[in-house]
Amino acid sequence: MSNPVTYTEQELVALLKAQDESSYSYLYDHYSGALYGVVLQIIADQELANDVLQEVFVNIWRKIQSYDSSKGRLFTWMLNVARNLAIDVVRSKAYQNSRKNQDLANSAFSEKAGIALQPGLDNIGLKKAVEKLKPEHRELIDLAYFKGYTHEEIAASQGLPLGTVKTRIRSALIQLRDYLK
Amino acid sequence: MNIEEYISSGVIQAIVLGLASKEEEREFEQLAATYPELKQARSAFEIILEKHAMANGVTPPNKVKDRFLEAIREPSRNTSSSNPPNIITMEKEQVPVRRAGSSRYAVAASVILLAGLAWFAYRSSEQNKELTSLKAVNEKLQSKYNSTDSILSQIIAERNAVTNPDAVVVNMVGTQVAPKSSANVYWDSASKNVFMVVKNMPKLPNDKQYQLWALIDGKPKDLGVFDATDQKVIIKMKNTQKADAFAITIEQKGGAPSPTLDKMQSMGKLKTQ
Repeated sequence: MSNPVTYTEQELVALLKAQDESSYSYLYDHYSGALYGVVLQIIADQELANDVLQEVFVNIWRKIQSYDSSKGRLFTWMLNVARNLAIDVVRSKAYQNSRKNQDLANSAFSEKAGIALQPGLDNIGLKKAVEKLKPEHRELIDLAYFKGYTHEEIAASQGLPLGTVKTRIRSALIQLRDYLK
Repeated sequence: MNIEEYISSGVIQAIVLGLASKEEEREFEQLAATYPELKQARSAFEIILEKHAMANGVTPPNKVKDRFLEAIREPSRNTSSSNPPNIITMEKEQVPVRRAGSSRYAVAASVILLAGLAWFAYRSSEQNKELTSLKAVNEKLQSKYNSTDSILSQIIAERNAVTNPDAVVVNMVGTQVAPKSSANVYWDSASKNVFMVVKNMPKLPNDKQYQLWALIDGKPKDLGVFDATDQKVIIKMKNTQKADAFAITIEQKGGAPSPTLDKMQSMGKLKTQ
């Protein structure tokens, strides 16, 4: 990118923890594309995804002291910050209401005005790999990973035993690992 | 514990992707202290995931970066980024006065609080702008929804009246003056509600309206006026406790106290009579 400097992950984390502004500029240049891809898989609306991405980086800046490199890589941590925030936004009351209103505007008697989660984009990132899974696996990964439902919620909504939900998700994750390799 | 089995169970992937329980995360940390291959397996998956995400990135618009940098700069706008932040100066001033340990935390906490407040103030001013326009849209939708909803519940109530098994249907037939006029009156003998469905009533001059009457023991009772052009399919009229027959006349706009019988358009008797 425009920044010729490269840091090792350790150096970068140290600078980020010191709240060094140029390190955040570097972080953004380096990782915004990957994290934007993650957000877009959950929120298809580009304007909203822009706001969420900005907030993701502000959250990284605010929470960087809680990042512990012994628990995993920096990117993994940022990925989870991005995913959690995007899911929180999608599941927030305000977002649900705005979706309902949009449905109302489109058709006053929309039957599906109850739950109208707008699906994220399917043709990018992890979702592309998820597409290769068997339908019963794909559905569970979609609900758990991209929509943020707990195993219990999924078991209840799908009418499956909790153990089955967990086993299927785990087996899907192993397959995903192999697809991504 | 068979560690190979543990590695291929998917639990590591679940932990990395944030899909594992706190308990499973703790278990992993405990096991990892004994089995270094666990951290290797985790790290291998993390790298796969990171590479994949980097290769599948989508470039966001430039304005996002500008707004992000502006947002993190905001809380300390008055200090240039190369200078040490306020916290140092304040700490130095405080040290002689209080015990270093507690005051350091207190000062740090208040600076964090101040920074947090400034950031929230900035965020909320940004969000307020957005909120105002969202509110306007929302209010418009709400009023549209309310009117649609009230029309719908009216339609449902009226449909229920017509399909109600207690409803007596009276077929109004045209008289000699207006042989083609026809309408149905639905009289709910339980709730005493009267509804009317206009099938064919000629359009009237602007100063005239149709008026529905109930005939009880030969005496007319006013049940209200209506227009032939009424948009509604089903018109709710006034209630009546009793009726032997119904009649429709043409009256001055607003209705008359008693019917002009030579203008009677149609009439229907109750089947029970």
